Parts: sequence; structure tokens; C-alpha cells
Amino acid sequence: MTNHWIDIQHADVIVCIGSNPAENHPVSFKYVEKAMDNGAKLISVDPRYTRTSSKADIYAQLRPGTDIAFMGGLINYLLTNDLIQKEYVVHYTNAAFLVSEDFDFNDGLFSGYDPENFSYNKESWAYQLNDNGMPKRDDTLEHPRSVYQLMKKHYARYTPEKVCEITGTEIQSYMEVARTIASTHKADKVATVMYAMGTTQHTYGTQNVRSYAMLQLLLGNIGMAGGGINALRGESNVQGSTDYAILYHILPGYLKVPTYDNVNLAAYNEKWTPKTNDPQSANWWSNTPKYMTSLLKAYWGEAATEQNDFCYDYLPKRSGNYSYIRLMERLQNGGFEGMVFMGTNPIVGGPDVNAIASGMDKLKWLVAVDLWETESSVFWKRPGVDPKSIDTEVFLLPAASSVEKEGSISNSGRWTQWRYKAVNPPGHAESDAFIVHQWVTHLKKLYQEDGVFPEPIVDLAWNYGDGHEPDIDLVARECNGRFTRDVVIKGKAFKKGEQVPSFAYLQADGSTTSGNWLYCNSYTEEGNMMQRRGKEDPTGMGFYPNWAWCWPVNRRVLYNRASVDLQGRPWNPKKPIISWNSMTRKWEGDVPDGGWVPMNEDETKSPFIMIPEGYGRLFAAGLADGPLPEHYEPMESPVANAMTSQQCNPAVAIPGKINNSGKYPYVGTTYRVSEHWQAGAMTRNLPWLVELVPDMFVEISEELAESKSLKNGDMVTISSERGQIEARVLVTERIKPLRVQGKLVEQVGMPWHFGFNGLATGGTANTLTAAVGCANTTIPEFKAFLCNIEKGGINS
Amino acid sequence: MTATQRVVKEVKAYHWFIKFMIFLVALGAAAAVTRFIFGLGATTNLDDTYPWGLWVSFDVVTAVPLAAGAFTLGAITHCFHIKKLEPLVRPAIVTGFLGYSLVCVGLLLDLGQPHKGWHVLRYWNLHSPMFEVSMCVMAYTTVLFLEFLSPVAEKFGWNIPLRILRWLEMPLVILAASISTLHQSSLGTFFLIAVDKLHNLWYNPLLPLLFYVSAICTGMCIIIVEATATHKWMGQPNEGPLLRTLAKILPWTLSLYIGLRIYSLVVLSERPLFDNGILTILFYTEFILGFVLPCCMFMFKDVRNSDTLRVTAALLVVCGLILNRFNVSMFGMMDASHVYYPSLIESLVTIGIITAHILFFVLIAKYFPIFEHHPETVDYSIPDSFGKINPDKPKGASQSEAVTSIS
Amino acid sequence: MSANHNPKQNTFLIDLTKCTGCRGCQVACKQWNQLEAEETEFFSGEGYQNPPAMSEYTFTRIKFRDYQKNGENEFAFYKEMCMHCDDPACASVCPVGAFEKTPEGPVIYKADRCIGCRFCMVACPFGVPKYEWSKGLPLVRKCTGCYSRVKEGLKPACATACPTAIEYGPRDEMVKIAKERLANHPDKYIKKIYGLHEAGGTSVLYLTNLPFDELGFKDVTQRPLPDYTWQALRFVPASFLAVGGTLSALSWINHRRERLMNQNATSEQAHTPAEEKEE
Ligand SMILES: Nc1nc2c(c(=O)[nH]1)N[C@H]1C(S)=C(S)[C@@H](COP(=O)(O)OP(=O)(O)OC[C@H]3O[C@@H](n4cnc5c(=O)[nH]c(N)nc54)[C@H](O)[C@@H]3O)O[C@H]1N2
Ligand SMILES: Nc1nc2c(c(=O)[nH]1)N[C@H]1C(S)=C(S)[C@@H](COP(=O)(O)OP(=O)(O)OC[C@H]3O[C@@H](n4cnc5c(=O)[nH]c(N)nc54)[C@H](O)[C@@H]3O)O[C@H]1N2
Ligand code: SF4
Ligand code: SF4
Ligand code: SF4
Ligand code: SF4
Ligand code: SF4
Ligand SMILES: [Mo]
Repeated sequence: MTNHWIDIQHADVIVCIGSNPAENHPVSFKYVEKAMDNGAKLISVDPRYTRTSSKADIYAQLRPGTDIAFMGGLINYLLTNDLIQKEYVVHYTNAAFLVSEDFDFNDGLFSGYDPENFSYNKESWAYQLNDNGMPKRDDTLEHPRSVYQLMKKHYARYTPEKVCEITGTEIQSYMEVARTIASTHKADKVATVMYAMGTTQHTYGTQNVRSYAMLQLLLGNIGMAGGGINALRGESNVQGSTDYAILYHILPGYLKVPTYDNVNLAAYNEKWTPKTNDPQSANWWSNTPKYMTSLLKAYWGEAATEQNDFCYDYLPKRSGNYSYIRLMERLQNGGFEGMVFMGTNPIVGGPDVNAIASGMDKLKWLVAVDLWETESSVFWKRPGVDPKSIDTEVFLLPAASSVEKEGSISNSGRWTQWRYKAVNPPGHAESDAFIVHQWVTHLKKLYQEDGVFPEPIVDLAWNYGDGHEPDIDLVARECNGRFTRDVVIKGKAFKKGEQVPSFAYLQADGSTTSGNWLYCNSYTEEGNMMQRRGKEDPTGMGFYPNWAWCWPVNRRVLYNRASVDLQGRPWNPKKPIISWNSMTRKWEGDVPDGGWVPMNEDETKSPFIMIPEGYGRLFAAGLADGPLPEHYEPMESPVANAMTSQQCNPAVAIPGKINNSGKYPYVGTTYRVSEHWQAGAMTRNLPWLVELVPDMFVEISEELAESKSLKNGDMVTISSERGQIEARVLVTERIKPLRVQGKLVEQVGMPWHFGFNGLATGGTANTLTAAVGCANTTIPEFKAFLCNIEKGGINS
Repeated sequence: MTATQRVVKEVKAYHWFIKFMIFLVALGAAAAVTRFIFGLGATTNLDDTYPWGLWVSFDVVTAVPLAAGAFTLGAITHCFHIKKLEPLVRPAIVTGFLGYSLVCVGLLLDLGQPHKGWHVLRYWNLHSPMFEVSMCVMAYTTVLFLEFLSPVAEKFGWNIPLRILRWLEMPLVILAASISTLHQSSLGTFFLIAVDKLHNLWYNPLLPLLFYVSAICTGMCIIIVEATATHKWMGQPNEGPLLRTLAKILPWTLSLYIGLRIYSLVVLSERPLFDNGILTILFYTEFILGFVLPCCMFMFKDVRNSDTLRVTAALLVVCGLILNRFNVSMFGMMDASHVYYPSLIESLVTIGIITAHILFFVLIAKYFPIFEHHPETVDYSIPDSFGKINPDKPKGASQSEAVTSIS
Repeated sequence: MSANHNPKQNTFLIDLTKCTGCRGCQVACKQWNQLEAEETEFFSGEGYQNPPAMSEYTFTRIKFRDYQKNGENEFAFYKEMCMHCDDPACASVCPVGAFEKTPEGPVIYKADRCIGCRFCMVACPFGVPKYEWSKGLPLVRKCTGCYSRVKEGLKPACATACPTAIEYGPRDEMVKIAKERLANHPDKYIKKIYGLHEAGGTSVLYLTNLPFDELGFKDVTQRPLPDYTWQALRFVPASFLAVGGTLSALSWINHRRERLMNQNATSEQAHTPAEEKEE
């Protein structure tokens, strides 16, 4: 989230698109409703009429996978009717930048496409540079090669009629959405976008998000109170997990994982430290070397010295894509001897689960660390297989749950809050930290005895006390980082062993450590900031600066220097995030995004400090699948792409087991219900929740029910190219067939929480989904696939 | 011959119908036992939307007015001093006593916590019609028991108690009538709380009074029915002339009821009244066939004088009352989307209770002098001496013979 | 009996326009009261509704409505629970006084007193008290208003769990908030605070944007229900005395007359027990 949960209350328009916060983020709705009490309009854009839609002023139904068309039309509406916040757009975004003459877009393909590799050569997407090496710009936005004009031309094709033909949305509701959102182009009006998996789980998920971001930039809504683009993070600590590198391609603090060709630290720094010639750009990532060195120092402590490149060599270098889908492919190819599932249940939660499960049959051993016996830990007794034919040795390690251990948890709004241990874990359950601690200490011992290349393990600085559990307080201190020697930085003297006060003091010379530069400032000499429970709200804006701690440096709203005009006055004086006090010559309000003076003064910096050029990107050259979001159909779709002849995202290779032949006529999508959690182990074993939603079900329209002579509650078999499951039909008018390109398309929706194990069991929706992912993130396309429905259970 | 053998022999000698009744009662008792073993939920069709079923509707709400003969007749005979009705009193008291005792049995089965039934005596809630009814039923059953003790005492020749009982008779009769007034009407008060639940055809503020007046009418009709039945099947003398007297009172009480009922419907009830076809039919059946028609019938001398017509009219009233009580406590409260019908166990228990009533009556009549045909030999007014009871006369002898004659 | 509005008694304000149907309340209630889960199948009503009704295991339940109105979807949620009437019908009819309206607001139930007659169930205009049908010696169960929490200054479990829809506090304050909402958003709400006058006033108030009857609210009388029975019951002592007195008087008169007649008859020796002739 650029903003945070409490901040939603400041919005004038709330757009829930690709998310269902009333069901999946119920507490967020407290702030949605607060905003509505003050007159905000709520818009819900969802294929299904959800519990969120029920609270919305405007509901727009769309076909799964057509968000870009939907957004493209809105961008077109803003541009053709000049309903943008011009000043913001000119000064804070790259709208005025001129793009290379070589850039082109032709029938669904951007310039530089390589069909062999499903990838682009992005050279032609670059800005035109002036003699200083800075992007050329035209502040009148008239230049035909300006981002603004290119964008205008690109989205002129997305007329309301065309859009609704693709999305199936009723044009009246679509126009109402357009008008309502556009109303926030005024400087003092804001819209917020709350998005989640309906947005990201597509082969062009990143572009979906981009399209929302562009809309918000055009409306001048980013950095503002009640604005921003807000990913409603999922698992309670998924924000913390990504901050701490749960993904294969990032290190803590979103530092890049070195690739095989980053042969030494210098090469790494050279490759991953972005450069700018613009003196007005803060280009925050230019600090990469400091953060990297501090991280290496945290990893290997005393062993990491300038002489040995701070043990950079110890880091594994990646040579490929280790995303979930790729790993699971490798598993199916017998590529792993063993596997550890630490709090995950892949044969319910992954795409094309039958394939994953068959891959697991090839494992020699499996370690499952979980609170429950999950489907994945008993994969060998799944229906249809003979346990005797599976040789995998399975170790189930009972884990302590979140309330049975201490530590921090980072929410969507980046607030990192300390949790205390409430009760002891039951039985033999142990915290994950304990389990990992055991692994590391044992490995260290084993490697010490003998091992190939033992140093990375043996030298690991692993000093978390001698207790039964590793001391989490020490871990938190290490994440923040400390000084390794007495130093003077920016005129301030620090003693060896002192905590680093903030990442501004991190160094590339080995004088500081930091397990995660983003969290530097979370545990200072003053103590553990994450434990704070101050309820003061000095600005009345809901920042609660003394409540817990928020990265970066307790800044509650990111890019907040875009919330003020060039003079430093809030665009919306009624809801200021920060404002420049010209008397004290200081910013007041939230922690500003850098303390630089306002934009109309010298020595200022542009507000988008994480972007090398310093401006919000309407045109983004860095993505795998094009600088401007363009509509493509999902991998499986009942219709041809009405925009271009390029059916699917050209940057995604078409996998096997895709069937567009018409054998599977219905658009399927998957989602969550309030009552269940994810792959279900946590809720399908709790009688109180099972009581609420006991069975796997599929929501279908009354029309489809009639044509298949189905009554509410009837058992059906749902099938796709990947497999088939049983479910009970929930016939509802909340799902309607859509008129798409003159054709009536039926869509069906189902929760993905069910599996064969536990108290409540049922068909796993992911039996049906395809293992194909987003061009940029490889998030699987869980939200759009084709399926068929027939009356009766599988054996009938 | 041991006592058991004697009993067995005695029972063996019963008429097959009595044996059949014993079987039904035993079946009912067995059903009652299952209720305690398996719980109300499993054995009845009661549920949260329909918490009161057959047992409350029949065993309590209907059985109580059906047992109203005792107090009505007692009051008429003794207080209004229509002495010639005297021979009807004792059977009525026995019926009443049995009726109320079985009401208690029914209630205990229906209660979730029968062992705590006595709590009513401990935690008083004067605002509760149920409290009122419970207290009255307990009190009245005691009164009836005392009244019923007379024939028992007579049979065993317990003269001292008999004397006390005689002396108590008048106060007991008055107490009985007063208590009955309260609880017969309070049964109606039960349903006053069912605002918005009980259909407008039956819901009105006069419900308690209507319950009371209809109970009186039915009390008399039950006596007619009973006397006619005992004459027909138990070889008792024809009490026709006495019943004629009762039948003469009935048009008055029935007219009073009909008047009140019409007034309550027209003036006091909420609208709409006739929005539900089935309920409308039930209402007309109850009101026209059960009250208006017999009322008209009783107005004719020919009817009153004819045993058959008289008992027919009386039966109509009894059925009218039963239907009325069911309409109020069951049909009028039922939600069309959720229809209740009694389960097998509930039905067996109720059949058992009804049968028990008849059976016990027959058996009591067989062994105790309840058909007292010589009121003139007894001075009920002032129990000053035993002198007027003929000690030589073997009490109840004729009755035993009469009963045995049917076995 | 008259309505005993105590302006300080704790009251729920449940704003159904803010209820997302998340059912946190339903689960929190089971958790706090340690109620067994019911065995359900699929859904038992519209939407995702489960279980089918409040019961001995379920003190509060979200009733789902999923229907079309003027061509628009309506997906609505109604939190059913005990209304904690100011003048509770359940308390008034209970023969053993097992129900009690506490000054704190909740209407509580004393299981140790209850004889299980189910009159409370018949009486409650909202159909709240439920019975332990599963047991041999059943008791009544209903929402406790979380009296054990409220007594200690905590909010009820459901109100605590609810992210959006439930306010809990003194009645006068809740009424004030409700009225403010109606005034501030006249176009949004149905102009009515359900519970303000229903059954003589309750400690649970509701606001909605859909007609109450469409959501399944019962159209109950505004008069306190105990009044209805009390208007008859208050005559009890009088009628007891009246009937008793009249009958005593009558019999005294009649017996006296008879005694006198008897005396005459004995003296005249002319008494014949003859049937009275009709007419
Ligand atoms: N109760 C509960 N809460 C949860 C979770 C849970 O399992 N249970 N999981 C947590 C996790 S990990 C996550 S990631 C979040 C996810 O939170 P959400 O993203 O809100 O979850 P979903 O229900 O998967 O998807 C949201 C909505 O997207 C809609 N949708 C489907 N396809 C499309 C599309 O193409 N376009 C648009 N615009 N909408 C589409 C679906 O109908 C659905 O209503 O929830 C978190 N919260
Ligand atoms: N079709 C479809 N599939 C989807 C999605 C979708 O929308 N549609 N959503 C996707 C998304 S967004 C996500 S996040 C994934 C989630 O997929 P998974 O992560 O596989 O699913 P979870 O059920 O969240 O698995 C978490 C497991 O961790 C265990 N656990 C809980 N606490 C602890 C702990 O403290 N320690 C340990 N060791 N274990 C613990 C739980 O018991 C549970 O079994 O699923 C994805 N799959
Ligand atoms: S699921 Fe957990 S984190 Fe999410 S709203 Fe509910 S209580 Fe909060
Ligand atoms: S709602 Fe029913 S149970 Fe609750 S207090 Fe009122 S009458 Fe009693
Ligand atoms: S069931 Fe219990 S609480 Fe209800 S009225 Fe009867 S005795 Fe009172
Ligand atoms: S007040 Fe307590 S008992 Fe009543 S519904 Fe809420 S949580 Fe359940
Ligand atoms: S917890 Fe609140 S929002 Fe959720 S269902 Fe209950 S009342 Fe509605
Ligand atoms: Mo997620």
C-alpha cells in the first residue's frame, strides 16, 4: 500500500477493483464506511456481486481478465475530456517526457518483440535524452512523442462502447464509474484504489496494477491522503515476508538477488544501482551498495571484510526463474530430492494441483512444518492414488501459531507491530524460528566436520542467545543494524555496537550492518519502535506516529511530497499529509519523503524518490510486457481479442494443457470467502467456521442453472483441461451472464479453499486452474480459465 | 390365593375393551418413558418455531376446560342449590380429578425440567399466567382430590374424615369455582402474550373471559355426554330429567358466549380477519357448528328432551371447544411455512392420557361409590351428623355390579 | 407494567447499512459462549446463510437476503439476536421468573430456576429463546447479552468482533447516534429506528436501507408485551374474591332458604322428592 488502512477514511471515491475487502479484509471496511459516512462514493468492479458490492454506490460487473480494457476506457475518458489534474501530471509524472522515435505499437505488439522468446528488446521504449543525458520534455504536453500524446493515442482506441463489448459491463454503470472517478481530478478530491488478487492473478497482472496506477497519477491521487494505490496484502504478514525476501528474486529490502553474471560486489553494484543525470532526482536506489554491504555484514558479521568483498561470494547467484510455477514444473520433472513446506499447502493453493501432487510422488522426503495436517502433508493418501505406490518419507513438524510466539508482523500499510506470545504452543509444537535455528546450528556443526564450501554456513553470524528459542529481540536488533566500529557520519559520532538510527546512516564500507535497510530505524538506541503503543494523533489525520512503526522511517504515506503543490502547499488543504512551513522552513505532518525543500526552490528533489528519474511513471519501460498496459485475453478465453489480433499477452509463453476449443464454454474464476482461510487448513478444521461454509460450491447464474436444469444445492461436476471436481451449485442473480462481443458468456465463480483432508472437505478449485503466470511476476492466472459444468457428481 | 393372583384374576375377568384400554395406557406410558430417554427433540415434532404442540394444546389447554364439569356442576348444584342435579356431581368430580391429575402428568412430560416443577411454589412470578395456572391447577387438583376422597372414605367407611370432608364440602365447592374461574380464564391469558403471533380471528383481549365462559358451557355439556354415556354403556340409570335441567341452562350460557365472541370479533379484534382460507374454515366450523348450532338446538324443548339430540348438541359443544382450543393454541399460531403435526410418540402419549382418563373412570366407578343415587338421604348442606347416611347400605354395591356387568 | 426505559442501560446499535455479513459476530458469540458448531450442509437459505436459524447452539445469526429489486441486486444481512427488551415478554410469562432485565441492559436467564415450560418461547415476539431439544432434560438458551462481560465493563463478544456495524453503549447515546445518521443521510436510510419502540423499546436498535420486512424483521407491536397479559391478570385477585364472594353469598342465601323451606316442609310433612317439571 502506498497509504495505509486508516487513511482510506479520507477518500472521496473508493474503487474496489479486483478485490473484495468486505469479505477478505473486513477490518478495512471500517475505514471505507467512515469515508462513506463523510460522503465518499464506493465503487465495486467485480465479476460477481460480492458482499463488497452490496455496500457499493456503483457496481460494475466485468468479465474476469478484462481490467485493462476497463481501465483503458477510463484513461481515455479522462484524456479526451481533459479530466486530469494537469499541474500534478506535468510536474510530478513523466507525461511530458519524450519517448524514442523508435517506439511503436502495432496490432497488439510493442516495438522490439521477439516471438521466439516471448520477450521484448526494450531499447526502443527509452526516453529521448538531451545533451545532459536527461530525458527531453515538453511541458505543453503537445509533442507527439510525449508520453502524454502517446498515451492519448494508445487509449483513444478504448471507447466506452468497445470497452463494454469486451468487459461485458453495462454501459450505464460504466459511464457512471467513469464520471465518479473523474470527479477526483480536482486537486482537493481524491480517489483510492483498493486492489488485490482479482487484479494480480492474471497473465498481465502487473499491467493491471499499472493501469490503476496510471489512472491515479492522471487524477493526481498518489501521495494524497485518501488516495494512492493500495494493494490489500493477503496473508497477515505477507508484507513482512516480501520485505524480508520471501520471493526468489529479491533479498531483504527488495535488493536484487545477484545473477550469475554479477561476478563480484562491484559488478553487482554496477548492475543494480540505477543512475540518473538529473540532479533533481533523489534516485534512492543509488544507495544500493550501502544497503547491500550492510546486509552482507549482517549475514556474515566479522567474517565479512572489505578484502573478501564482504563475503559477497557466499551469496547464491541465480541463473534462472525460480518462481513458484517453475519450481513446481521442476518438481514434476523429478528435479528435487526433497522439499520443505513451511506454512504452505501447495496441492490446494497452487495452480493445476493434480500436476503438483503427481510431482510430489517423486520426492524422497518431505518436511511439512504446519499447524495442521494439510492436504500437502498427506498427499500420499489423496483420492485416486495408492499410498503403497508412494515412497516419500514425510516429516510433519508441528508449528507454533502466531499467538504462541513473539515477533513482528507487518500489515498492508507497512505498519510493523510487535506481537507478544499469548500462550504456550500445544504438545510438541515449536516456533518456526526454533525449527530454523535447529537446522542452522545442526548444519553448522555438520559443515564444520566436513562439507563442500562450508564457509557460507560456518561463517554465518548466527548469534541469537542460548535460550531454547532464538532471541527474537536480538533478531529484530540485527534487522535494524548497528555500527561495527566507532564512526562519524554526517557530522554525528557513533560508537561501535550502537544501533543505526536510520538507513540514511548505512555505509558501504562495512561500518554498519543491517539485516534489512527498509527496517533500519525500527529498533534504535531508543528501543524497539515496533512495540510502541502511543495513541496520539497530533495531526488528526490518523497517522498515529507513535503507534508501532512503519517503513520507511515511520513514513505513513509514501510519495507524500506529491500531495503538495510546487510551493509545498497541500493540494487538499482540508486533508494535508504534509505542508511546508515557510517560517520554520520545515515540513509539518507526516514524515516527508525526504526533507528537501519544495519543488519551486533550488536544492529540491522530485517526489517519486524511488524512481531513478524522480517522476511517476505513466509510461514504464521496465516491464516485460510493454510500457503501456494493453488489453489481451486470458490464456483461456471464450472470445477473440477485440482490440488486436494478439490474443494473449505476447510476453507469456503458451503452456501445455490449455484448451480454447469450445469444449469448456464457461469462464471460471476463483475467490475467497470471509469464512475460510486460503488453502483451508486453518479454517476447514474449525467447527465454527465449517458450520458457516461446510461445502465446496460454485456460484452460477440463474440462466445457466435453467439451461442445465440445476436447482440451488445440486451437485455438479466442473471440468477443465486440467481435471475435474465436484461442487454444489449456488444459483444466484448476483452472477449474470455477460454480453461480450455480441455473444452471451456465462461465468462461474468458486472458492478455492477446499481440499480432501480435514473436517470439511470438498473439491479443490485449483484442479481446474492453469499453471501459467504473469509476464512479470509469474503469479498464476487463478482468476480466469475455461471450464464446463455438468449436472451430477463425478461418478454419476 | 395371593394378592397378586387375585389382581391378575380380577384383571383377566375384564371386558376386552378395558384390556385394550390398559394396553393403550401402557403404550402411552412407554412412549412417555422414551421422551425422557431420548429427549423432547427426538421424540416429538416440537421445535423452536413450534415449541408447544399436542401436549400443551390437548393435555393442558383442552383437557382443563373438558374437566370443567366438576366446578360448574358443583357451583350450580350447591351454590344455586339446584339440588336435584346432585347425582351428577360425584361423577363430575371424579372426571375432574382424573382430568386434572392427567393434566399434571401431561405437564410434567412436557416440562423440560419436571423435577423442578415445584419451583413454581418457590419463585413466584405474579405476572405470569403460567404461574397462575400452575398454582391454580395444583390447588384445584388438591381440592378435587379432597372432594374425591368422599366416595373413597365412604367405600372404606372412614367416618371421621368423611365427616370433615362433608363439613368442608361447601367451602371446597366455592374454592373450586373461584380457582377454576382464575385458571380457566388464565389459560386464555396465556395467549394474550402471543400478539402478532395468534391469528386475529382468535386474538382479542377478551380471550380469558371467552375461555372461561366456554369452559362453563363445555363443563355442562361434558356432564350431559358423560351421563348419557354411562347410562348407555355402564348400565347407569337414565339421568335424562336432570340433564334436561342442564340443557335448559345451556342456551343462556352459550348465548352469552356467542354474544361475547361476536363482540370480541367485531369490536375488539384487529383486521384482517379472513385472510387465510384454512383458518377461516376452522373458525366457522368451531363457531357455527360448535357453538351457534348447539345453542340453537338447546333452545328447542324437543332437543332437550331427546336423549340423542341432547347429547348430540352437547357433543357439538365439546367438539367446538376442542377445536377452539386447538385453533387458539395450535392452528392459529402456526406459520404456514412451518406446519406442525404431532409425532407418533406425542400422539401415543396423548391417546394414552385420554384412555387413562376413561379407564380410570371406569375402574373407579367399578370400585367406588361415585354414582350416588340417593341425594335425598344425604344432607349436603350441613354435615352435622352421620345419622343420615345409612350405614347398613353397602356403599357402591350397585355400581360394582353395574360395572362388572360390562366386563 | 410500563416500559422501563433506562437511558443508561447498554444498548446495541446495529447499522445494517454497515454490516458486511462477515459473520465475525456469529463466530465470536460461539467462542465466548462456547457453543457447539451445528452440522450444516451447503447453505440453509439465501446467500451463504448458515445455520438455518438461531438455536440452542446459535445465539446470533446473520440472516442473508439475496434478491433483486428494481433490477438491482440486493445482498443484505440482518444480525438476529435477543433484543433485550426493556419490558421483556419472556420475563413476564415465566412462571418461575427465570428471566430478568438487568439494569445494565442484558436480559439474563437463570437456568437453575427454569422448569422448561417453553412459555418464554411462545411469548417472545422476536422468536429468540431456543430450547435444548437434543437433551433429555432441556433448558432454554438465548443470547446472554454477554452479561458476564458487560458486568466487567467489557463490550459483548459480538460487538467487539464486529469491524463495522455494531455500536454499543448507553441507550440515550445510541439513540442519538442513530438519529444523527438518519438526519445526515436521509436518502440512505429507511426512516425508522427498529427497537426504539418495538415491544415497548429494546436494548438492540437497528438501522437499515432496505425495508425492514424485506430483511425479515418482525412487525411487532409497540406496546410492551407484558401489558397485554397484565391487563387480564390484574383482575385475578378481584375475580377470585368476586366469584368466591358471590358464590358464598348465593349458597348462604339458597341454603338458608332451603333450611327454612325444609323446616316448613318437615312441619307440614308434605315433602315429596318430585322431579321438577319442565316449563
Ligand atoms: N477471509 C479471508 N480473507 C483473506 C484470505 C482468505 O483466504 N480468506 N486470503 C488473504 C490473501 S492471501 C489475499 S492475497 C487476499 C486476497 O484478497 P482478494 O483479492 O480480495 O481475494 P479474492 O476473493 O481472491 O479476489 C477478489 C475478487 O476479485 C474478483 N475477480 C476475479 N477475477 C477478476 C478480474 O479479472 N477482475 C476484477 N476486477 N476482479 C476479479 C473476484 O470475484 C473476487 O471477488 O485476501 C486475504 N484475506
Ligand atoms: N485458485 C486460486 N488459488 C490461489 C489463490 C486464488 O486466489 N485462487 N490465491 C493465492 C494466494 S494470494 C496465496 S497467498 C496462496 C496461499 O497458499 P498457501 O500459502 O499454500 O495457503 P495457506 O492456506 O495460507 O497455507 C498456510 C499454511 O500455514 C500454516 N500456518 C499458519 N501459521 C503458521 C505458522 O506460524 N507457522 C507455520 N509453519 N505454519 C503456519 C497453516 O496451517 C496453513 O496450512 O494461494 C494462492 N492460490
Ligand atoms: S482476518 Fe484477521 S487480520 Fe484480517 S481482518 Fe480478520 S482479524 Fe483482521
Ligand atoms: S427478545 Fe425475546 S427473549 Fe429477548 S428479551 Fe425480548 S422477549 Fe425476551
Ligand atoms: S421455559 Fe424456563 S425460562 Fe422459559 S418460561 Fe418456562 S420456566 Fe421460564
Ligand atoms: S451479546 Fe453475547 S451472547 Fe448475545 S449475540 Fe452477542 S456475543 Fe452472543
Ligand atoms: S460482525 Fe458486524 S459486519 Fe460482520 S456480520 Fe456481524 S454485524 Fe455484520
Ligand atoms: Mo495471498
